[in-house]
Amino acid sequence: MSEPLLSIRGLRAKVDGEDGEILRGVDLDVQRGEVHALMGPNGSGKSTLAKVIAGHPAYEVTAGEILFEGEDVLELEPDERSRAGIFLAFQYPAEIPGVSIANFLRTAVNSRLGEGEEMDVFGFQRTLTEKMEMLRMDPGFAARYVNDGFSGGEKKRNEILQMAVLRPALGVLDETDSGLDIDALKVVASGVNRLSEADEALGVLLITHYKRILNYIRPDRVHVMMAGRIAESGGASLADKLEAEGYDWLHRAVAAV
Amino acid sequence: MSTMTAGPAESTLAAADFDTLAGALTEPEALAGARAAAWERFTALPWPTKKSEEWRYTDLGKVGFEALTPVVPTPATAEALSADVREVLGRSGERAGVVVLREGRVAHLELEPEVARSGVVLSSIRDAADRHPEVLRRALLEAQPGPAEEKLWALHLALLGGGYFLYVPRGVEMPAPIHAFHIVERAGTLSSAHSFVYAESGARAAVIDEFLSDDLDAETVSLHGATITGEGDAGIEYVALQRFGRGVKRFSTQHVTAGRDARVVTFNVALGGDLSRADVTSRLDGPGSDSEMLALWFGDSDQHFDHHTLQHHAAPHAHSDLLFKGALTDAGSSVFRGLIRVDKGAQLTDAYQTNRNLLLSEGSHASALPNLEIEADDVRCSHGATIGQVEDGQLFYLMSRGLTRRQAERLLVFGFFDEVLGRLPMEGVRARVREAIEEKIGL
Ligand SMILES: Nc1ncnc2c1ncn2[C@@H]1O[C@H](COP(=O)(O)OP(=O)(O)OP(=O)(O)O)[C@@H](O)[C@H]1O
Ligand SMILES: [Mg+2]
Repeated sequence: MSEPLLSIRGLRAKVDGEDGEILRGVDLDVQRGEVHALMGPNGSGKSTLAKVIAGHPAYEVTAGEILFEGEDVLELEPDERSRAGIFLAFQYPAEIPGVSIANFLRTAVNSRLGEGEEMDVFGFQRTLTEKMEMLRMDPGFAARYVNDGFSGGEKKRNEILQMAVLRPALGVLDETDSGLDIDALKVVASGVNRLSEADEALGVLLITHYKRILNYIRPDRVHVMMAGRIAESGGASLADKLEAEGYDWLHRAVAAV
Repeated sequence: MSTMTAGPAESTLAAADFDTLAGALTEPEALAGARAAAWERFTALPWPTKKSEEWRYTDLGKVGFEALTPVVPTPATAEALSADVREVLGRSGERAGVVVLREGRVAHLELEPEVARSGVVLSSIRDAADRHPEVLRRALLEAQPGPAEEKLWALHLALLGGGYFLYVPRGVEMPAPIHAFHIVERAGTLSSAHSFVYAESGARAAVIDEFLSDDLDAETVSLHGATITGEGDAGIEYVALQRFGRGVKRFSTQHVTAGRDARVVTFNVALGGDLSRADVTSRLDGPGSDSEMLALWFGDSDQHFDHHTLQHHAAPHAHSDLLFKGALTDAGSSVFRGLIRVDKGAQLTDAYQTNRNLLLSEGSHASALPNLEIEADDVRCSHGATIGQVEDGQLFYLMSRGLTRRQAERLLVFGFFDEVLGRLPMEGVRARVREAIEEKIGL
């Protein structure tokens, strides 16, 4: 088997400057072209894992490694990880008043092109308009300030818009489905599927509480995180079982260990 | 009011300099008289020192006035537009006219024929002193700044190299701004220029004063004054865009008078120079008048910016709103000192004053001193200031999209500035200011 797109080994992490570990030995491999769903109860560490993958400075990795395309990314700054091909769709995206989506994304696109190779304004505008159409976003959105005053659903759509424009090799989607009505969910899911079709090597780690998005984006693997560890992994049917039975049986199983 | 004692930098600007200067001119009495009186005041007054509240954070003693060469004003010349000016104009929006001043001397002056036909006058101050001596005299008299500014103001008038005079008659609306360029070319000089803007009742005037120079290798001082007057129901938009090169120290004293129901917007942008001070006074002179005072600055290296303001409510029912925002990096420093003064008779005043500062580096420093002085009892006033840093959550969000820390910080500065830029009414002016800021901040 070729080297995984993302390989996490024995990852332990805590909030910088504090004691309690949040991630307590995470092991996870995502191959190119695979979709992995990550489920688990509130507070189990899913978002922390996502942010540690993206390089959030609030967390300190105390043990383990994260390899992306075979390279250790723990020493890389968040922007370097992004330019290397890691994308995080935030559970709670930041609001940036005064900065338009268009201006922000053009800067982001140009940050990965060499000096003098920057995309011209019109070329960029075309790309942006095309991706916005795909996500059924109003063209006027591009001029709005990043996430400023957006509804929950608009924020999530905006995250996927950024992923579509930036074309990462790995997308970590942290509860992109929550807060979306059923129509928006379909649009966002089909957006992600279109990206997968356009780039067959795209890997997706999809963090969710609900099975419904998995009806649209079929996972190759489903993992359950409990108290900072992957407690269970399985095929798509694991999501059905969780939906039907909740996490109690896993709590008991974890407690029994 | 603080008292001023003689400071270490007591003037040695020789009296001979003034005589040479004045002797070179044959000017109308309105100007010559004002000049001689100003020189007398200048020599009589002590330099303000750091002991005075107004100059606590900007040390005039460190400016070597006596070593500078005062620029002898020579009569206006008529040169063609230079390449640097044409370049900026090519990137700016529509305009009603162009003025080029070189170290205060009017080098070029043009007004769109159509605008001229509507009755708008654009001339050198010297010509204005011939033709409208009373307007000039009155405007100068009214613009007399507070005691702490008097010394520099006197020097400004005494050494005045020239300036322009914009007069918009009753009911005439300028379709686009006058774009004036204040260019300093010679290192080691001390020069002075003035902008006069006068809008009669119901008139609309717009001006952008752009200050520029190369980086100069010796200390150079540029003095500037602006007298902006709106009669009843007039509307004025005035922008001072300061993008001098290093080596230049700049002092600008701006005085706005707003008559009954007049609306005046002033916008100061400080980007260049070693030291840049703007003293801006808005006098709400007529009931229902409205003054919007805006400013932005971005300081890096060891630049120092100083903004000193007065919102003087002399009439009831007037409104003033000040929003000044600055961002600093490296060892940049800034000071904002603002006062809302409400006279006894100025009931139902609505006055606001906000200064926000963003520090991007450990070495940068901002001081903010907002103040109120209210003698009326039925007013709505607020003042506030903040000094903060970029938010980690925003920084991480931008960096997680591939922006370097520097790019992310700078983009956040743009976002921080946008609220102020958005308040500039004229789109073309807004675009020019935005471009100049982009150039300075770099992305
Ligand atoms: N920056 C932080 N400071 C303090 N505590 C934190 C921080 N980040 C995470 N935690 C704590 O770590 C635990 C895991 O949080 P995390 O957000 O990773 O959970 P989650 O699995 O994403 O939960 P949810 O399903 O509710 O989104 C929680 O107890 C949370 O309070
Ligand atoms: Mg979470």
